[in-house]
Parts: sequence; C-alpha cells; structure tokens
Amino acid sequence: MSKVDLRITPSRSVLPASQEPQLLYALIELSAQSGATKMPRLPLNLCLVIDRSSSMRGERLQQVKQAAMQILDLLGDHESFALVTFNDRAEVVVPAQLARARAEIKRQISAIEAAGGTEMATGLALGVQELQRAMMPRAIHRLLLLTDGRTYGDEGRCVEIARRAQARGIGITALGIGSEWNEDLLETIAARENSRTHYITSAAEITKIFTAEVERMHNIFAQDVQLRVTLPPQGLLRSLDRVRPYIVPLPTIEEAEFVWTAALGDWPESDAQALLMEIVVPPLPVGRHTMLRLQLRYRVPGSEGTTANHEQNLVVGVRNPDEVASEVDPTVKHWLERLVAYRLQASAWQAAEEGKLEEATRRLQMAGTRLFEAGEIELARTVQEEATRLLRSGQASAEGRKRIKYGTRGLIGREEQL
Amino acid sequence: MVICSHCQAQQLDGTIFCTVCGASLLSAKPQRQTTASLNRAAAETAQAEVDEATILPAPTPAPETNTIALIVLSSGRRIVLPVTPELLIGRKDQQRNFFPDVDLSLDGGYDAGVSRQHARIICRDGSYLLEDLGSSNGTFLNRQRIAPRRPVELHHGDEIQLGMLLVRFEMNG
Repeated sequence: MSKVDLRITPSRSVLPASQEPQLLYALIELSAQSGATKMPRLPLNLCLVIDRSSSMRGERLQQVKQAAMQILDLLGDHESFALVTFNDRAEVVVPAQLARARAEIKRQISAIEAAGGTEMATGLALGVQELQRAMMPRAIHRLLLLTDGRTYGDEGRCVEIARRAQARGIGITALGIGSEWNEDLLETIAARENSRTHYITSAAEITKIFTAEVERMHNIFAQDVQLRVTLPPQGLLRSLDRVRPYIVPLPTIEEAEFVWTAALGDWPESDAQALLMEIVVPPLPVGRHTMLRLQLRYRVPGSEGTTANHEQNLVVGVRNPDEVASEVDPTVKHWLERLVAYRLQASAWQAAEEGKLEEATRRLQMAGTRLFEAGEIELARTVQEEATRLLRSGQASAEGRKRIKYGTRGLIGREEQL
Repeated sequence: MVICSHCQAQQLDGTIFCTVCGASLLSAKPQRQTTASLNRAAAETAQAEVDEATILPAPTPAPETNTIALIVLSSGRRIVLPVTPELLIGRKDQQRNFFPDVDLSLDGGYDAGVSRQHARIICRDGSYLLEDLGSSNGTFLNRQRIAPRRPVELHHGDEIQLGMLLVRFEMNG
C-alpha cells in the first residue's frame, strides 16, 4: 500500500580514478505517488498559541481569528482543538476539546482582544498542557505558534518548553509576522523533526498559511521516517540537508562504521522531498562501484506496528581521468547552488554579529551571486541591497534579514508548492 | 585537490562550490593551476558574448582639472578616473588583449556577472552619461535597469549596478 519513489542523482555519473579522495554530491528525491494517503488518517490534536500583544491589534488579529475559525471547520468531529493566547500573561481561551461545539468555540475566538506585551514562554507552556490534556494516544500532535514581536528574557524557557514537547512527539510550527519578531528564536524552536518555521509577510496570508499547515498534517502518510545511508569503506558523509520543500540541515548519527542515520519526521503526501548529500569518496580502482546504499523506513499511520521499507543503490563508474568529462548534473547543481546561498547568508549574519562587517558583506554578495545564477533574481537583489546597507550603516534591515533568511530556505513566496 | 581561484582555499576534487567562500569552481579547469591561469580560464569560458576586442588607447593622464571616481562597494576600492570623452567599464581579457579603462575583474566582476564590455561613461559638455553596452546581466542606475545603448545622465552619488556588482559614482569638481 505504500507507494514511494526514491531517486538518486549523482553530481557526476562517472568519476575519474584518483589517488586522492574526491567529493560526490547526490540528490535524493522522495515522492509519494498520489493516492498513498487513501487510507484512514490519524486524527489531529491541534493547539493554536496566539500572540495578542497590542501590536497585533487591527487586521492581524482579525485575520488570525478568521483563520482559527476556518481551521476549526477543517477539523473532523473526532479531532481536538484548543486555543491559547498570550501577552504579558497567558490564557486558555478554548480548552482542549473535540471540534464539535463549533458555534460556542467561534464565539470564544471572536472575543479575543489585543493588549499588552509579549511573553511567549507561558503561552507555549499552556499550549503544550492543552495538547497533553486531550489524551489522544494515536494522533498527530501539533502546536501552531504565531507571534509578531520579541519576547524578552524568557527565550531560554521557550526553547526548553519546545524541546520537552518535541521529545513527547508534539510538532511545532512557529509563524512570525511583520518585521519585529526574533527569527533566531523561532528557528531554534523549530529545529527539530515535525517542526518548521514560516515567515508571513502580510496579514492577508495568515489564513492561507494556517489552513495549508492543517491540510499538510491531514495528509501525513508516513510517520517517523528514518533514512539510513551506507557508504563504501573509508567513505564519509560530509553533510546532509533537506532542500525541498525547504532547506534545513539534517543532523546525522554515525550508527556503525560507514553507516549514518537521519530522522526525517512525518511526511505529508503533498510534500515532494529532496535531500542533498555530500559524500567524500575514497580512492577507488577503475570499475563500477556501489557508492551509496539508501534505506528508507517508516511507520504507516493508523495501522498497528506496520512499517514499510524502501531501498535504492547508487552505482557509479570509475574510469581513467582522460575518459571522464567534467560536466555536472544541472539539477544537482541548481539545488546545491541554493544550499550554498543559504549557508553563505547564515555565516554572513554570524560574521556581522561578531563585528566582521566586510566579511559579512562579502559572504552576502557571494550568496547573491549564487542566487542570481540559480535564477532567484529578485531575492539576489534583496541580498545585494542588504549587503550594501550592511557595509554602509553597519546594520541590515530587520525586514531584509528575514526576507533573506527565509527566502534562501525557500520559505516565502512559494505557498503554491506546499 | 583543487585550489579555489577566489579565496585560495584547498578543496577536494569534484567540489562544485568552494566550501570556504562559496565561489564556483566549475569554470576553472580541474587540474592544479596557478590562480592567474584559473582566472583566465574563467574569463574564457564566460558567456558567449561577442567581443569585438576593441582596443582602446590607454587613458592619458589629463591635467588635474577634473576627476570622477567609481567606488566599488564590496571591496571598498576607489577608482579615480581622469575625465576623457569615454570610459569603458568591464573585465579585462588578456588572451584577447582587451583592457577596459575600468577593469572590475579584481573586484569579483566575473562572479558578479560583469561582461567584458559592460557599460561606458560618456563625458559631454561637463555632464556625464552612462550607457549599457548590451551586457549579459544588465546595468542598473539607482536600482532601475537602463535600456542597452541608451545613455542616461549620471549625477554625483548615483548607484550603478553592473550585473550584481554595485559601484557608486562620484564627481570631484
């Protein structure tokens, strides 16, 4: 019943024989054949945690309330809904309950008003509590956090609460709106499986992003996806990153000699996934060699203990150097170019924080070049502008920084690809 | 092992983008080479622009009546230029013996998409005009793309973007 396509594309299909180790990139595309989810889905246990500080007043809060009500309508009678708000303190507006008394829940949502400051940690803690209160042993547990401001002094607590929840199988989607929120904090919170962060540039997008997120959770067809990578002796997995649907580095564990594993979390059918790995290939004699063995293993939701497995090998020829063309696969190069741009901008902000402005500017400009060549012209220009601003004023704009951070990861302007 | 022509870092064979600076290692020949020849190789494989290889007379240092300057923002390099009727901006190509008045190859011009003959500054009756010479990646004046072969007026402090490379135009009266 599981229909998964696993495709490996190497940067070069033939390698030159060499006395030295060399680098090979491999793009791994994972896609679910449509219909993979035509099976009973797991119920959703959802809690919205909403910032209602005074800066949310007006269109933002209005849109959030509307989005919350639309989400409620997307849920089935057997699914759980809760809503927590926070400003200087936190409050449970809708206690965890099955999505049934819809009119009453909507009345509670519409009574939310904006006031006060932003203190996120207590809001998160209450949200996690509501999710646990729902007592749904077999469900998809998700917390949807939306904020437009900085929380002061409790960032450490926020991360702790998030980690505890994630360890118990609760995924967190952290959404920032406007230009004032702390993207470092949201990124840290979301840096675990089944968690992600998103940048909402205008209030009008709130409903679309909220509902898209709920729809993704509704079509999860594989849970706890584990990837196992086996390399030839003396091979080395230098890095592993997810590049689609958005860029995120994937932590790997060296489980045995030349065997690495990575946890990919739950997989919504609508997400075409792609991973990019950098493999250090040891010196090999002329001939055909298995460079990579991939094993994918996941749980099938809603069925007791059923797991599915997929396996795929990559065989690459090694020939005399003068018989080997130097071309690289254009698709691999495209995703690598975007990944390099993402890494460059990340290290640019780091350099800027350390006061190394020229270094930061150089890195941003190179990120711009990579994006330019990857066809991301508009984003390349934003990067260029911020590089100039950084060099002139010693600071990038809050909005530009967010646009670059989220844009290079592929997290804004591509809703249609969700 | 290959050497990145941009930052001189050592990289494994097969590397596509330098892990230190992010520059492309593809346009360079895969063999070990000196950086100078790598740069030249990069210039040769650049986009198929038609270079007429116009050889311009080297600018004669005019008496210090008037100068203009271009400041490259990424490198901070200030290029002071004598006022001549025409100043060509681009990237040098030693192979073809082509040397523009303003050579941006030292400022990462290749990576930033600067064409060999990218644009020119024309001085006419004390005012300055900027003209794009049909460059591959375009010329922008104060963030507006200018049409090729259509000179537009330049003012003190204007921002000129050649491909991805940003420079500021200054007049020192």
